[in-house]
Amino acid sequence: MVNKKQHLIVIGIQIIFLIGIFIFLYLSYPKANVNVNGNVVGFESINAEYIIISENSDFSNPGYINFSEFKTQTFDLKPGKYYWKASNGIIKGFEKEFEVSSEVGLKIDGEGNETNLVNIGNVKVNVTKEGGVIVGHIILEPEESEKIEDKGEYAGREENEI
Amino acid sequence: MLEEKKMKFNLLNIYNTTKKKDIDKNNINKHIIEEKGNFINANNNLNSNCFKLLLIMIVFISFLIFIPNVYSLGITPGKTTVNYEKGQEINTGGVIQILNNEHKNIEIVLMIKNEVDESIKVFLSENKINLLPSEESKDIKYKLNIPASFDGEPGAHSIDIVALEVPKAKEDGTFVGATVAVVSQLEIYVPYPGKYLDADLNVLDAEQNSTAVFVVPIINRGELGIGEARAIIDVYSNLNQKIDTIQTDYLPVNPGQRTELSAKWNVSVPSGDYLAKVSLFYDGETRNFEKAFSIGTKKLSIESILVNNFQLGEIAKLQILVENRWNKNLENVYANLLVYNKRSDVMADIKSSTESVGALTKKELIAYWDTVGVAEGEYNGKLMVYYDQKSADNNLVLKVSQDSLDIVGVGYAIRPSGGSEGINITTILLVLVILLLIVNLAWFVFFRRIMGSRKAGKK
Repeated sequence: MVNKKQHLIVIGIQIIFLIGIFIFLYLSYPKANVNVNGNVVGFESINAEYIIISENSDFSNPGYINFSEFKTQTFDLKPGKYYWKASNGIIKGFEKEFEVSSEVGLKIDGEGNETNLVNIGNVKVNVTKEGGVIVGHIILEPEESEKIEDKGEYAGREENEI
Repeated sequence: MLEEKKMKFNLLNIYNTTKKKDIDKNNINKHIIEEKGNFINANNNLNSNCFKLLLIMIVFISFLIFIPNVYSLGITPGKTTVNYEKGQEINTGGVIQILNNEHKNIEIVLMIKNEVDESIKVFLSENKINLLPSEESKDIKYKLNIPASFDGEPGAHSIDIVALEVPKAKEDGTFVGATVAVVSQLEIYVPYPGKYLDADLNVLDAEQNSTAVFVVPIINRGELGIGEARAIIDVYSNLNQKIDTIQTDYLPVNPGQRTELSAKWNVSVPSGDYLAKVSLFYDGETRNFEKAFSIGTKKLSIESILVNNFQLGEIAKLQILVENRWNKNLENVYANLLVYNKRSDVMADIKSSTESVGALTKKELIAYWDTVGVAEGEYNGKLMVYYDQKSADNNLVLKVSQDSLDIVGVGYAIRPSGGSEGINITTILLVLVILLLIVNLAWFVFFRRIMGSRKAGKK
């Protein structure tokens, strides 16, 4: 009878201990939200001190976004997959990820005698010209433009980058 | 505690206040067009009507002749990677989005360009679509089937999903002018036998008398994991003289994984062009490549932003001070400030006038922000100063109140690993489990001893 009571006391203490630990973890767990809108990535801290962000799942060469001054931080990121964790200096949260989609965009601006090909996407593009006499390649960075012949078909592909 | 790093740019703590400004809002960007209702009276004489009709036709024909030839198209994602293992059949699918960036009425033809292997099949949900000006984008579903019999060479194989804007035909049915097509690539990666690394080099913050960061991103494209990869980077001048040797850190890389090796270098050489010769070592194998980089390319810096006599609801005058640190004049310099709302949408896109900034001098760029409808609060922003086909960028926070606008620079910088990052939540839970195991084990041992002593007592 005494043994059973002792068992129950020990189990009870453990349950209380566990509940206490989980309440502590829940309250002190660093929380933050991410909002991706095109290239613009916004982080909002709930109780995190900073965000650790990397393009690699092993968090090699990470960047740090500090919330000491402001609870929200917004900036542009190049297309790719990103891994992040929130931290409050005591606990580092679980790893999360988001993706900034690459966008291949081309525009032909023709005014007067001049025709320009503009990269309106968010990645470097390799443009091939087909359908005309010349078959050539043009490399355009985002927002970069190049004068072109006003005939043929200009096809843009995302340039390979690691 | 986390050691905070200073931001890339030395920015902005400017606080200014009050008073109404002398800018007349009504004179800025407001064009009021008044229309007077003129109706053709049926009783007007025939000549007058014919003349008007002729005039309308001339205007219409002139519009057709001088209308700018604009084609534009976007597609996302630009690339989708599919990792293929030999002998394995893959049935996958996804969605690509066709973007109507210019909000036009456009007709698009979708095609598959497969030069990899005829056995690989790609199916699209639609082959021809029409986008209305009101439609920002349209989703197209695709299905990809790679049969188990596919025996591709190791490396990347690309199948193109091509979206082509159909050019507008003339009255006689002929097409003139250039047209655009955009490609979403389905990149099938066949792993290399054994160990193989794909690598590149990026040099960050390469400024004179500062610390540059050499980053070597690597992807394991082989079938086997790599226990340790490292790189040695030799820096050469444009006269091919070896200047320095830098060693990166060591990291393991699993098959298909991407990681980054990095090293720091104190830049004590003059601005100019340099060559980095990279030797990549991984588990007894070596790969060499080279890449040119520049030191001191940043020619122009943002020094401060001044806001005088700010009053919410009126037009704020932003005085952006920039410094040309290059020994040549910079032409066509202008600033562009983007202000984001809480949803990270651009709520204000402000451009300054274009100026010329003399060599090694400072100059103010003036921009105006119409704050009508802007609520008090904190807003994120981004300031970009464009010059010489480049831009100097700064992330900002704009604290808007009724009679003041405070602009504070923020940013994030890469810092070396180390310092207190906190304990991983997984580690905490693991410690908790171990602790409970110890408590229970201790209790079990204690219980056994008590039971043993009681049994001995009874005997």
